[in-house]
Amino acid sequence: MASRSSVLQRPAAFRSPAYRSVARSVLLTLPIALWSLLMFTRSFRHAGRNLHIGAVLVIFFMTALFFLMMRTGETYRWRRIFFVALGFLFPVGFIAALIAERGTMSIPISRMVSGDTPYCPMVTPFILLPAAFGRTIIFPGSIVSSAGHPHAIAEMIGLWFAFTLVLGKAWCSYACFFGGIEEGFAAFPKRRRLHRFVTKYGEILRLIPWAILVFVVLVSAAIFEPVYCMWLCPFKTVTEFPAVRNLETAIQFGVFVTLFVGLVVVLPLLTKKRTQCGFFCPFGAFQSLFNKINLFEIRINREKCVDCTLCQTTCPTVALSKDSIHEGKTLLNCMKCGACVDVCKKDAAVWHLKGTPVAVKPERARLLFLYGAWALATMFGGSILAGSLAAIIGFLPWR
Amino acid sequence: MRTRVLSILAYTGAALMLVVAACVPFKLMGIFSNGVAHAGLHIDAKFTGGTIARTIERSGYKIVVYQLVEPRLLDRSEPFVQLVFEPADSLPRRVSQEIDLDGDGQPDVRVSFNLPSDPNAPMRGDVTALNGKYVSLTHVGGESFSRMVVRTGNQIVVRVPLNKEWARR
Repeated sequence: MASRSSVLQRPAAFRSPAYRSVARSVLLTLPIALWSLLMFTRSFRHAGRNLHIGAVLVIFFMTALFFLMMRTGETYRWRRIFFVALGFLFPVGFIAALIAERGTMSIPISRMVSGDTPYCPMVTPFILLPAAFGRTIIFPGSIVSSAGHPHAIAEMIGLWFAFTLVLGKAWCSYACFFGGIEEGFAAFPKRRRLHRFVTKYGEILRLIPWAILVFVVLVSAAIFEPVYCMWLCPFKTVTEFPAVRNLETAIQFGVFVTLFVGLVVVLPLLTKKRTQCGFFCPFGAFQSLFNKINLFEIRINREKCVDCTLCQTTCPTVALSKDSIHEGKTLLNCMKCGACVDVCKKDAAVWHLKGTPVAVKPERARLLFLYGAWALATMFGGSILAGSLAAIIGFLPWR
Repeated sequence: MRTRVLSILAYTGAALMLVVAACVPFKLMGIFSNGVAHAGLHIDAKFTGGTIARTIERSGYKIVVYQLVEPRLLDRSEPFVQLVFEPADSLPRRVSQEIDLDGDGQPDVRVSFNLPSDPNAPMRGDVTALNGKYVSLTHVGGESFSRMVVRTGNQIVVRVPLNKEWARR
């Protein structure tokens, strides 16, 4: 790939050694385009007109972004467009569905009792202990999907498991429907503030999600409640939250809003980092464990690395440290967003398939990873985007 | 030689992952979901109300009495008994029933509520304890998992908390 780059007349903006011709990029994009078409045709067979329009738009959108990944050899900026769109459109579709169904974003206790709470995959680590030792699920949802109970627990855990097998921690940059909100806010500022603080205390900040994970898992198992959902999830602010009916639920709502404003809006604007994902999210910490069994990773080619630490500065979740760069590795919490690979001027940060020699055919490793990741992103995120677009089309006065 | 074998294994694994990714929406997710659905898991009784103890038939409707749900470990909720009046469509506008919760043949509580004509309207009701075992509730709606009179679909769900001192015995 690298040798071909000198033959092709690369635009200045596309400095990646994996830059390709249009024809070759189209060929490489074709499998994703066909797969998306097949998947959406099957999934939305009986859907209404608005959803069909949404699905068609999403197929074009996802295919175009994949084409640009192939054409430019860059991953991060095209993935970010999808991810930010997902982050900002997911609440639109979700809230529209809630308002249409129950007229409010708050979930009354009667809905919890009847098992109507949609299951969020982020709850999975917190219900594990009671499920494993007592066969009890401490979530007010339904185990099996039915007409009145979509997004049931079995369906969403099945989906999470399949995604985790393929993506590992990359769930956080290709599948999470919340991460795009803060990635969007982090993209706004030109300057990085609090940079020294984040670099200096990166080691400690990285440990916070693990501490929260252990705390939440143990307390959830002890009090038989999904503590994170009830008290700590910032994204309740833009989805659904327990109806405010007393002081306790009022405090809960206050905590959700405070965490959302602080971790998802203000700190990403100041630091250009995904602060909620990197320094708070216990589900992200849990997903990091699956990086151990995932086949794909990012490595630093020590022969090319000049220790400029640009990759460390750029990483949205502080998944690189000076020590890890010296060892030629990323840390366990790397979510394979590709930011470090794209930013590295020496092409030292590379995609890598475990078991193969480092920096030998990194573009092949990237392709293999991206096909799986983009297919799943299209399936899950794409379906959410299609639903949200359908909701927006439904609001249009001339629809 | 070792590097070559490892590389072959790695590419085989990567190809398998691609197959898994491609099959997720068509078959694989269903297989995984069925696996979870058949794992013998159940939703915690605090949310579902637990298991049915017996059914009391009334003219046109029935009252389902559930077994006592007791909090576990450090669970903050109170012990409670759930009652379900169904179908709500067949209930009279005003319901006031004395009900035996523990099956000893003696009524334990009187449950009273008015059924709003709008199924989505919030409900309120009263529970009067007829002995020291249960707690009386006045004008209760969806206050907590152990104290409620709410409508869920075509059912009216009532949860009556057990007196704490009685629960300790």
